Amino acid sequence: MIQVSQLQKTYMSGVRRKPTNALVHVSLHVECGEIFGIIGPNGAGKSTLLKSLLSLVRPNSGTIKLNGFFPSDLRCRQSLGYLPENPCLYDNLSVNDHLIFIARTANLKNPLAQQRIPEVLAMVGLDHVRHKQIRTFSKGMVQRAALACALFTQPEILILDEPMSGLDPLGRKMVTDIIRAYNDQGNTVLFCSHVLTDVERICDRIAIMDRGQLALTITPQELLDITPDVRGESPLETLFVRTVGAGGQQ
Amino acid sequence: MRGVYAVALLSFKEGLRHRVLYGVLLAALLLMGCTVLVSGFFLRDISKVILDFCMATVTLGGLTIPFFLAIHLLAKDIERRTIFTLLTRPISRGQYLIGKFFGLFLITGLIMLLLTGGVWLCLWGGEFLFGSRFFVTVSWVSIVAALFLSWLSVLILNAFVVLWSTVTTSSFLATLLTLFSYVIGHSIDDVVRFLQVEVTMIKISDSIRMTVDVVKYLFPNLAAFDLKSAAAHGLSIPFTDVLILTTYATAYIVVLLVLSTLFFNRRDLA
Ligand SMILES: Nc1ncnc2c1ncn2[C@@H]1O[C@H](COP(=O)(O)OP(=O)(O)O)[C@@H](O)[C@H]1O
Ligand SMILES: [Mg+2]
Repeated sequence: MIQVSQLQKTYMSGVRRKPTNALVHVSLHVECGEIFGIIGPNGAGKSTLLKSLLSLVRPNSGTIKLNGFFPSDLRCRQSLGYLPENPCLYDNLSVNDHLIFIARTANLKNPLAQQRIPEVLAMVGLDHVRHKQIRTFSKGMVQRAALACALFTQPEILILDEPMSGLDPLGRKMVTDIIRAYNDQGNTVLFCSHVLTDVERICDRIAIMDRGQLALTITPQELLDITPDVRGESPLETLFVRTVGAGGQQ
Repeated sequence: MRGVYAVALLSFKEGLRHRVLYGVLLAALLLMGCTVLVSGFFLRDISKVILDFCMATVTLGGLTIPFFLAIHLLAKDIERRTIFTLLTRPISRGQYLIGKFFGLFLITGLIMLLLTGGVWLCLWGGEFLFGSRFFVTVSWVSIVAALFLSWLSVLILNAFVVLWSTVTTSSFLATLLTLFSYVIGHSIDDVVRFLQVEVTMIKISDSIRMTVDVVKYLFPNLAAFDLKSAAAHGLSIPFTDVLILTTYATAYIVVLLVLSTLFFNRRDLA
């Protein structure tokens, strides 16, 4: 379960300390076993929100609880898997090395890890390059490898930042299938994207984020009541344009 | 503890795969080999020349680690966001920094140990070529002590890399600041001594004296760790000196790591 309340984050960038409001009073509640998708235009603050959940970014105010723990509490990260946007892994090491490291931090015994590694690599379609150095990988392969790292410990909460970016159509379907299968085991998935179709298909709830604010939260059932403005547009697209577009005109 | 261990092992492994290391090892061993051949020109001082050059090479080889590898393992790690793989595991930022430091500790130890092996080979080669009568003054205890101390000074610089990588956002700046620390650490002793000698012709303002005093206490006296020429001349290095310097280095490194953790804990990794 993820509880976020009144989260605020202002970045101070540059020598002039120019402030950017990345998150403005964001409150969010994700139930156990839910697939929650966040959509929003570039720079809406999606990545900042997800990074605060992992305490990579320190919010200025507001509270976050993950399964009852604060993000800075190391115990909560044991049951957390995170896929960063544009993931970057160690060039000189192999996927195998990365996964062994993760097993070590999770206190997983070696025989168990050796059993789990091929399993998770098969899931992301990288079983043939287990011992190859990451430097030889394509962008999509790195993305898959990072996904394998996030999935490795079978965390209760999976946080994915633009998991479909950089993947081919088969890769996208693979990610969708993984998220679904993962959720079927009773786990929680929170992910963000700016590609609406990715989100529409699999989420139990969808939030639209714009300029640091959560504009609205909606379920796929509620989406059915919305009639598209333009023929051929999906209901979510219409809603997205109405929400984000309307904000933009103010 | 488990986190520190896992990070140390991963960085050790990553560092060992870095090509810089093999270049350094090869260049250093070649340099040592040449020294043995050239030292024949120096007749009586053969062993001193060999030792001087070889030990300098060991230190130089060790020094490439903070400047190339450590920057890569820390500043680049933060810059390129590869750090996310580590920090999203149950590893605190302090554990991350300590783990990285121990990874570097192992790598510098390994490299300098291998190069010390090179020194041994050179001495052996010299004895073989020129006869053992030139090598009676060689004291292995002093050589090992001197090289151990130069390892400690390299470790202090590694800790500086940790600090500068946490306070700056660019690896270039971190390299530059480490270079400054190295230069200051090596020259501060001379500057202090120069100021103590009252030269009548030159007036030194109080503000300069103050600055030097502050710098003297902020930066480590790296020159104190340089006892290579004593060892090359076969002089003994007092055990108490080694003990004091070890304590000094340890304390300094602990302070640097604690400071780094304080800085790093406040930093956003967006
Ligand atoms: N490190 C940073 N320094 C300053 N501003 C940042 C930083 N990271 C993100 N921002 C700003 O915060 C806002 C939200 O960014 P982000 O969370 O990455 O958006 P999204 O992931 O939705 O595209 C943007 O306006 C961006 O410019
Ligand atoms: Mg983003």
